[in-house]
Amino acid sequence: MICPRCDTDKVELLTKSPVGNAWEMYICNTCTYSWRSTETPDKTDPKRYNAKFKIKPESIPNMLVIPPVPPLKA
Amino acid sequence: MKDIQVPSGKTGSTKAYHDLRSFLVTLEAEGQLVRIKDEVDPEEIGAAGRASANLKNGPAVLFEKVKGYANPVVTNVHGSWANHALMMGMDKDTPVKEQFLELSRRWDMYPVGPKRVTNAPVNENTVTENINIFDIISLYRINTYDSGCFLSKACIVSADPEDPTSYGKTNLGTYRMQVKGKDKLGIQALPFHDIGIQLSKAEALNKPVPIAICLGCDPITTFMASTPIRYDQSEYDYVGALNNGVPMEITKSATLGLEIPAGCEICIEGYIEPRVRECEGPFGEFPGSYSGARLQAVVKITAISYRANPVFENLYLGIPWSEIDYLMALNTSVPLYKMLKDTFPEVQAVNAMYTHGIGVIVSTKVRFGGFGKAVAMRLLTTPHGMAYNKIIIVVDEYVDPFNLEQVMWAMTTRVDPDKDVSIIKNCPGMPLDPSSNPPGMHNKLIIDATTPKAPEIVSRETELLTPPAGTAKWEEIISQLVKAARK
Ligand SMILES: [Zn+2]
Repeated sequence: MICPRCDTDKVELLTKSPVGNAWEMYICNTCTYSWRSTETPDKTDPKRYNAKFKIKPESIPNMLVIPPVPPLKA
Repeated sequence: MKDIQVPSGKTGSTKAYHDLRSFLVTLEAEGQLVRIKDEVDPEEIGAAGRASANLKNGPAVLFEKVKGYANPVVTNVHGSWANHALMMGMDKDTPVKEQFLELSRRWDMYPVGPKRVTNAPVNENTVTENINIFDIISLYRINTYDSGCFLSKACIVSADPEDPTSYGKTNLGTYRMQVKGKDKLGIQALPFHDIGIQLSKAEALNKPVPIAICLGCDPITTFMASTPIRYDQSEYDYVGALNNGVPMEITKSATLGLEIPAGCEICIEGYIEPRVRECEGPFGEFPGSYSGARLQAVVKITAISYRANPVFENLYLGIPWSEIDYLMALNTSVPLYKMLKDTFPEVQAVNAMYTHGIGVIVSTKVRFGGFGKAVAMRLLTTPHGMAYNKIIIVVDEYVDPFNLEQVMWAMTTRVDPDKDVSIIKNCPGMPLDPSSNPPGMHNKLIIDATTPKAPEIVSRETELLTPPAGTAKWEEIISQLVKAARK
């Protein structure tokens, strides 16, 4: 399975629905995007995911850090 | 909610709620809560929150059955002025300015210490192994391009890592949380928020921050969790004050012993992991646009406690106005008013309801020329105002800052753009404001819409119109006739 947002294949099952077999949720271990199997294709299909919200995996380490990590005290 | 009886006695009298459920009963009795009995898809809940906030005096919406989940969800609990008034035990038709004045009066009762209770219902069930947050909480995506399910209305109790059970060092705040695993969350802790101060201290020592994430609290506790107060002040002592002197009930969390709101539906305990950052967001935020994706802190869940049939309370936020704008309206206005009033008793009221105080209207008496501008600059040096306030309009004492028609009147008839408009460059700002450039910096705008006073050059005297004699009498006659005609 491919992450709809960052197109990597590091995707795993997050959970099955607690009641019945209603849906599964998946999560991407690269960009932490998660989605439910019953959501519309603009949230679940890598080809249909809004290009403005796509993430390139290589951009993640350069994202703004909030809050900044302070220096360690000895 | 089947186990709850509608309280007897007159609703609308001053009343303090100790949990969410008793407030939902009042809302329903007042016609300010609707139930959706049919099963809904989880992702419909966000749309219903948007829809209810679009209505005048929109109700809270309780979803009894959410597809694939065991437990109910409620949204838009604070999402109208009627619900806001009922939260304070006031009549649901109470005008906004009256609600402001009442909150302002109760604010001065601070501190009202809490009552410690044992056997809180939230501690009836505790899971510490094989934790799966989805088993207990009916989670859903709020806005289309949110990066996952978010907790948008959690009351987060965070403790001093050195002294986790200390009452005085406990903070209560609302910070957005992204669900990232069965026992893992992301948290947005901004440096100027209290939790940011705690996290920074703990991370310098490489220590985790113990936290308890409380969902479905009584309405004043949730209100207080998003109220800006000083770092050394206690939110719990303010809850007692805002409940008109009725002490808040608190209890120890099940495994970490943090002092938490006793009435909450669900309490998630865990730790903010020190020195860890991970991709979080975007999330549809209160300025009506998505935040970017950022590297943010991570929470490891170690226990979840809950009442029987826990109700998950969450809020929709979108283009204003939505529930969050009602929640953060007067709880931003009153503390800013108190801070201003402390140095300038001339200040009459503060309306900081626009996007958590990015826009503020101050009404003040003017003692001499330039006074209005000075009051605005004081606002920009308050702890909340420093980062959030960007556009400040100052009006005369007879202009009601909650009445936008009157504010526009003041702007159109008092402002000389050449001398009354000032821009103050390169100040702290709110990074979620998309006009903040770079994120975290603001240029500030002050519009002094007060009437000129000496030694400022007063080119023409302004003689205000007053209502003709008999206006009050005619108001009474006409409204009686209208009432009779509508019968
Ligand atoms: Zn991904």
